Amino acid sequence: MSDLLTRAEPVPTAPFAADGVTISLAPPMARYSLRARQGQALETLLGVKVPKKIGATEGGIACLGPDEWLMRAPAGTSIPMAAGLAIAVTDVSERSICLCVEGPRAAQLIMSGCPQDLELFPVGKATRTIFETVEIILIRNSNDQFHIEVWRSFSSWLWTALTTTASH
Amino acid sequence: MSGFRLPTGGRVDRSRPVRFSFDGVSYTGFAGDTLASALLANGVMLFGRSFKYHRPRGLLAAGSEEPNALVSVDRGPGRFTPNLRATNVEVHEGLKAVSQNRWPSLKTDFGAINDRLGMFFPAGFYNKTFMWPRSFWDKLYEPAIRKIAGLGDAPTEDDPDQYAATHAHCDLLIIGAGPAGIDAALEAAGTNRRVTVIDEQDEAGGSALADPSLWQWLERSMKALNDAPNVTILTRTTAFGYYHDNFIGAVQRLTDHLPDDGDAPREKLWRIRAGEVILAQGAIERPLVFAGNDTPGVMLSSAAKTFANRYGVAVGKSVALMATHDSGWHDVFALAKAGVGIAAIIDVRDTVDADLLKQAADLRITVKLSHSVIGVSGRYGVKTIEIAHNDGTGIRSIACDALLMAGGWTPSVHLWSHSKGTLKWCDDIGAYVPDQPNENVRCVGACAGACNFGQGAVIDVLPTPMDQSRIKAFVDFQNDVTAKDIKLAVREGFRSIEHIKRYTTNGMATDQGKTSNLNGLQIASTALAKPITDIGLTTFRPPYTPQTFGALAGHAKGALFQATRTTNIDSWAEEHSAVFELVAQWRRARYFPKAGEDMHAAVNRECVAVRSSVGIFDASTLGKIEVVGPDAAEFLNRMYTNPWKALEPGRCRYGLLLKEDGFITDDGVSARLAPDRFHLTTTTGGAARVLNMMEDYLQTEWPDLNVWLTSTTEQYAVIALQGPNARKLLEPLVEGIDLSAEAFPHMAIREGAICGIPTRLFRVSFTGELGFEINVPTAYGRALWERIMAEGDRYDITPYGTETMHVLRAEKGFIIVGQDTDGTVTPYDASLDWAVGKKKLDFVGKRSLARPDIVAAGRKQLVGLLTDDPNVVLEEGAQIVADPNQPIPMKMIGHVTSSYWSATLGRSIAMALVAGGQDKMGETLHIPMPGKTHTAKISGMVFYDPQGARLNV
Repeated sequence: MSDLLTRAEPVPTAPFAADGVTISLAPPMARYSLRARQGQALETLLGVKVPKKIGATEGGIACLGPDEWLMRAPAGTSIPMAAGLAIAVTDVSERSICLCVEGPRAAQLIMSGCPQDLELFPVGKATRTIFETVEIILIRNSNDQFHIEVWRSFSSWLWTALTTTASH
Repeated sequence: MSGFRLPTGGRVDRSRPVRFSFDGVSYTGFAGDTLASALLANGVMLFGRSFKYHRPRGLLAAGSEEPNALVSVDRGPGRFTPNLRATNVEVHEGLKAVSQNRWPSLKTDFGAINDRLGMFFPAGFYNKTFMWPRSFWDKLYEPAIRKIAGLGDAPTEDDPDQYAATHAHCDLLIIGAGPAGIDAALEAAGTNRRVTVIDEQDEAGGSALADPSLWQWLERSMKALNDAPNVTILTRTTAFGYYHDNFIGAVQRLTDHLPDDGDAPREKLWRIRAGEVILAQGAIERPLVFAGNDTPGVMLSSAAKTFANRYGVAVGKSVALMATHDSGWHDVFALAKAGVGIAAIIDVRDTVDADLLKQAADLRITVKLSHSVIGVSGRYGVKTIEIAHNDGTGIRSIACDALLMAGGWTPSVHLWSHSKGTLKWCDDIGAYVPDQPNENVRCVGACAGACNFGQGAVIDVLPTPMDQSRIKAFVDFQNDVTAKDIKLAVREGFRSIEHIKRYTTNGMATDQGKTSNLNGLQIASTALAKPITDIGLTTFRPPYTPQTFGALAGHAKGALFQATRTTNIDSWAEEHSAVFELVAQWRRARYFPKAGEDMHAAVNRECVAVRSSVGIFDASTLGKIEVVGPDAAEFLNRMYTNPWKALEPGRCRYGLLLKEDGFITDDGVSARLAPDRFHLTTTTGGAARVLNMMEDYLQTEWPDLNVWLTSTTEQYAVIALQGPNARKLLEPLVEGIDLSAEAFPHMAIREGAICGIPTRLFRVSFTGELGFEINVPTAYGRALWERIMAEGDRYDITPYGTETMHVLRAEKGFIIVGQDTDGTVTPYDASLDWAVGKKKLDFVGKRSLARPDIVAAGRKQLVGLLTDDPNVVLEEGAQIVADPNQPIPMKMIGHVTSSYWSATLGRSIAMALVAGGQDKMGETLHIPMPGKTHTAKISGMVFYDPQGARLNV
């Protein structure tokens, strides 16, 4: 089977632009859910620093909970699966897509459906939250740029919600 | 016809006339007018008909507390809004408003017959009269009462408007931008706190808008606030509810006041989380209770001042005041200075401040102390009033065309009460005021009881020489509750204000008793001869004023009502004419009809294709959980009924999950990928529930286990290939996996690649045929599906949907949790004894399986049912009886859970829950259905290939 299968994405691949904000689908990436009782165990496994404070990100790894991290890395990145260790590494690369929301109105747009206080949400913070009824992981890359990780089957709803609100 | 536009004054823009209509008649007002002020300026006094008696009603107030002047506004098809307060509707060019609750017209209303028959409609009339016969309620009473008693017509068309919504955060939220709210905002403006100020009116200022001496201050203050970078001001925004932890709901009206709103959102829902809240809601003037106090032209004294000073409209040419409070005197002095004629000031008090008397004398106003109004003449507008000395003597008439009431002030504690702050009674002002807060909130200004409007007397009903049981002195204007209704309630034994309220409906209208609660309390207190604080207090609940459903729904309408989850393969199904069904939030293909096929024909064809060659099915929605860690097997062993520790890596096992009560809650086939890694599957609808349940046990019961759960439902697209040709089709596509029966037996899993994509390949079957479930990274689901369809052409590969899947599994007797079980079915009831580990020390639900009721005979058990007439397909949900000749109601011994036509078997098959069913094999039961009672015999549940010969190939 030489000819490879092509990907099908749940939202348009062309960016959406409205006054003060653009919404676009980020390229595919590798995602791993990392679970351990201590971040130290992951540092030993991966050989990189792991953020210890919930909400912090470091080198593409976000600390989402007391024993939960999300690693995002370039597509194709593989990591040790920690066989036999008290660590759980699970490949969730295709579980979600990432929407990039960018522009001076980005925070305002996200706050239309997300109860987080984005005026006090520092650059580099990541958190699991909701947009209306849909669970998302929100990451602030810069003052005007956010990544929203959303499970695939909810993403077309989220795309419609964001683009509808952005055009209001 | 006596209101008129004053030659000068007001904040309306006299250079911008606007044309609008009311009940089809065209009028002109000015920009800045409300519908109320513009109609008053045109001499209109009659605004509506009352709820019960259909009495003609005019304006009582000038703000959102208005109970009478409810109108409907028509903004075109689907854009009809009933029950708006005319005092809150801003006029704009082309505004179309109509009156309500009248037929055929506002002036000539047949419903007014109720007013003449009023003596037959006492409090509790509906409760007492329409009790029996019960059968009359649905067909006669309810529709008839609904037609004659009521408010505006509910819209019947879809609302085409868009609504916006947002969350917002601030350190300080100030609700109410009157003088007190503005002062609080100015104080915070210089700080680094984030301040939001909201006000329900089109312009900030509150009571200052009706006081020209404050306009310069207002302008200065608003400029300072607008310039302050830390202050956000939202006008036309109503804080309708105050919820836990300083969470406030507010609706901002964006376009209703504009002549042409384009397609911009109509309203915006604000969900505000505030660090601190300052309530500056102000106070509402209390009406007075006397005969004829609801005649059009009788209104609150503060309202008349607002109409004159804010809108430049006089409410009459000759205006009288009935006061128990100083504030009315000041209002009347302001009116006199604005050029309105004053007929008289009547005050129930024996003495008032000498300064008031002097000012009245200077303005040459007749004053009558120790007097009260005892009657009003004029049906559609005040013509004369009758007054009498408080001792009943000296009855005389005074000609006037408007009568103002100054009964004192009620602090607006609505939002304070929503927040569960306590109240204390304040004798001085005869009202409840805020006491102890329950949130980080404080009240300032008039709503805190700190109003400096002068002195007043608190009077329940004005003295009158007339028989109090024969007069209509209104307390609740909107719900037509009179003083004698409240007294009647007391006479009939009601003691608590909560009961009096519900019996009389006092305070239960859309205005929530803003003008009536305190008067109602006073009257009940007198009638019961008890202090007010002993009678209790009714509770204010959101919303402060009525809000549209559209605003509360926000974005959640149409496509955004709820997320419809779709798989990667869904678009292919849609392009190939699939008929869909919703399973939980998922949209799934139910069947794929070809031209001319109905569901029956399509499903028969799909079933035969799977049994004879190969079918392809999108199983992506199945829940998946990756269970990883050294204690993974131990954890699953505790959760599931069957043993898991000995399962070899590479093998699968059916898992049955019970709740603590021993009843089946989910099932699924799970695979062991490695000693410390399992790939679980759950039902489509149970995915989130199962993960939550497992997470709950892990975190609360067994936190010592080193195992973690990750939802991987959406990581994989899953394609099921089922049928005798499945292996032949799959073989050339797969790399690195030996598909032979020996190397890859039934209930096994292998990892490898398919068409160059990594796959977790399961050999499992929910059809009874040789079958595989191909898991690939979700993004490749559709492309792989299309490749398999192309490769499968030579086998006449047939896509099938959930309906065919249901038939095929029923032929094999596989249950569907939630269809064949209903939360009361144990593994034994479902003949799943084999899936319960008898030697296991424990698993979730084990202890419950030993309870006496669970092991008792006669429980409903899952069995097969074969109708005597093979062509009859029973209805799912049909009840089952043992003897069809018993009298109705018959004893029902069970019901049909699954029922299909089996094309493979050429007859119908069914599953049913039947009491003691497993001991009744071969017995005949009866199933009454519309038209006929059918007979069926109890059988085993496996209707096809009971030896499983087709699986193990």
